[in-house]
Amino acid sequence: MPNKITFQIKLDQTKLASILIINILYINTVYLFYIMHPTIHYLKNKKLLWQACHTQTDIKSEQTTGFTSLDNALQGGYPEYGVIDIRSPIGIGELRLLLPSLLTRQREFSSELITFIAPPLSINSEMLAEFGLNLKQILIVQPKTQALGLWSAEQSIKSGCCHSVIIWHDLVSVTHIKRLQLAAEKGQCLLFIIRPYQNEHISLPVSLGMTLAPAKEGIQVYITKGKGLKPKQIVNINMHTYWPELSQLAPSKVLHFPTAIHKVG
Amino acid sequence: MNKLWLYLSFPQLQLDSLLQQSTSEQSLHKENSQKPWVIWHEEKHQICQLNQTAYQAGIRVGMGLGTAAMLKHDIEVVLYQEKISQGMLSDIAHQLYLISSDISFWGSTGLLLQAHNMLTMYGGLPQYWQMIQQHIPNAITYHYASGHSPLAARLLATTKWNTITDDHSSIQQAIQPLSLQHTELSSAVVKKLARVGLHTLHDLLKIPFADLAKRFDADVTHYIGQLTNQISHPIHCFHPKQTFERYLELLFDIENLQTLLKPLKILLTALASFLKSRDLLTHTLHIKLYLRDTPSVDIKVESRQGEYQMDVWLSLITLKFENLSLSSPAYAISLKVDNTFVRSPDKQDLFSRKQGTFSRLQLQSLLQAKLGDDALTTPQLSNDFRPELMLNNTLTNMSSNQAIHLQPMRPSFLLSKPAPLQEKVSIAYGPERIHTAWWDQDTVIRDYFIAYNSIGQWYWIYKTPDNQWYLHGIFS
Repeated sequence: MPNKITFQIKLDQTKLASILIINILYINTVYLFYIMHPTIHYLKNKKLLWQACHTQTDIKSEQTTGFTSLDNALQGGYPEYGVIDIRSPIGIGELRLLLPSLLTRQREFSSELITFIAPPLSINSEMLAEFGLNLKQILIVQPKTQALGLWSAEQSIKSGCCHSVIIWHDLVSVTHIKRLQLAAEKGQCLLFIIRPYQNEHISLPVSLGMTLAPAKEGIQVYITKGKGLKPKQIVNINMHTYWPELSQLAPSKVLHFPTAIHKVG
Repeated sequence: MNKLWLYLSFPQLQLDSLLQQSTSEQSLHKENSQKPWVIWHEEKHQICQLNQTAYQAGIRVGMGLGTAAMLKHDIEVVLYQEKISQGMLSDIAHQLYLISSDISFWGSTGLLLQAHNMLTMYGGLPQYWQMIQQHIPNAITYHYASGHSPLAARLLATTKWNTITDDHSSIQQAIQPLSLQHTELSSAVVKKLARVGLHTLHDLLKIPFADLAKRFDADVTHYIGQLTNQISHPIHCFHPKQTFERYLELLFDIENLQTLLKPLKILLTALASFLKSRDLLTHTLHIKLYLRDTPSVDIKVESRQGEYQMDVWLSLITLKFENLSLSSPAYAISLKVDNTFVRSPDKQDLFSRKQGTFSRLQLQSLLQAKLGDDALTTPQLSNDFRPELMLNNTLTNMSSNQAIHLQPMRPSFLLSKPAPLQEKVSIAYGPERIHTAWWDQDTVIRDYFIAYNSIGQWYWIYKTPDNQWYLHGIFS
């Protein structure tokens, strides 16, 4: 390995930088070397040298998703603010995927609101309270039309008094997302849009895009888009720690009621 | 210290209130102020107020409507309403109360101010008078005078003396040549005095006070006594109300709600200055639109946080108006505020990066104004085993102090009414029996199960004692 490094030093400085970036695997060796060598020191001062450890520096605790595997795939968690596009059918655990993160954010920003806009059914307050959320800091908005829903979302996220907004919405366009992104930046708010699967050819300018599918032990997340992320990752999330009963992998607990199932037909 | 009184006479308050709309920048309104306007007193059958254009056309106060119409064919006639003048006068009094302590109403056209006890504070009469002038709205026509008795001040102001002085002799000089017709004495008494050759106040004041009582009846003696400060004149001082109410007659009928926002701005600006000067806020505005030929419309605009600023209220009203349509044009608007409270600034984080500056209550008011009051809820808990009772959501969170025992494994979504189960499911957890409310009609006996269907959706289902299966919730 030392031979390889000596070889690189002979190249001109810019080439050296690019090769160093490619050879991230040798980062330890390079690190040992740059203590000694002034060229690397110079490159680092000029910000021509990028080190892999730099990405992890500004992750905050409130960004965590609550699931280690998802945190790893997202390099630490959800973005600080912005629009997160979630495509999922109803009832497979899409809201439960967000709950741990909502709980952390609520504890972090205790004076701010969580706003649910246009939920498809009535939200059960007992579940939210049982998970540990403070119901007083939750607002449920039920607008009459979809357009009003988007309007409410924009007002809520730019108001600066909501840390997270979740909207159930079917149709969003690139213009809508751009508006919402600006509003989210203004209010430092995270907006989750939950919508059904659709055949889309355009890529929406969201901060993070995820497609969810049911999985036996929890939920499967397919990351379609994310800033600085490896694209098209599939993450299997195990929700067993939070909801052990909601798992298809517990055969001992499954009680069979053949008559009941037949009756249902 | 000599007593000094200030009298402000407002001869055409209703006209001023009407024409203050024309000060807005709209060219349409400017044309309106160029028109001849008269206020018609129905009981007296005469014109009681008129603007400059009407005056130039030869119309005078006291003319009949017929004569006026002959002089100028296109006059705009508005009926006299005393309550408008009174309302305006009360607003002016509220304004002046901030700088002068003792104010008293005189009919619906005049204000009497006790000046002598304010002079030390302002450092002299000119400064005090300057302050008063600044606090009278620009669009208002008024005449003024000072006097050593309330009656003297009033007499000089109604005869348009328009001088403020504390020099006793110049006041006396101004009073003496005045005709007795201008005084408070009834016309019968004035006639009687004229028969004995007394036409001006000078004639009356010449007579020693003791002789007056012998020669004339009590009215004359009393009047002259109060005028010359020999008999005390009781004054009822005004105390400001803590509520705001104002009525504005529109220059022309308005059906378009967007256009209606312009005159409403005048009222809101007045409200803002009313509240700001008292450091108050209010939650609710009651706006009343008086419609031609149809019952008037009441609009209630709410701001949960409490506001005073015109812009904020205007944006809330604009949202409210979007859901409203008028059946016929409005001819007047009124704005009323009942409850006010003292402002207490809420602490804000100076170091936060957020640019959004709304508070929670402001956001709620904004959403409610557009979406309707019932669109916003906050989740509530109820101390009952029946899951459907958890859906009684209201906006005001009743903070129940009692600890409610929360059940684990509850779905995130509940159907508003349980639906018969229509698909094949596999059961993952259960049963959990809920048997409650045996004491009332909604007795519940249900065995709840957590189940999933073929595509992996999680359901909360239950079985009734007669083996009926229902879907009650979804684990989202």
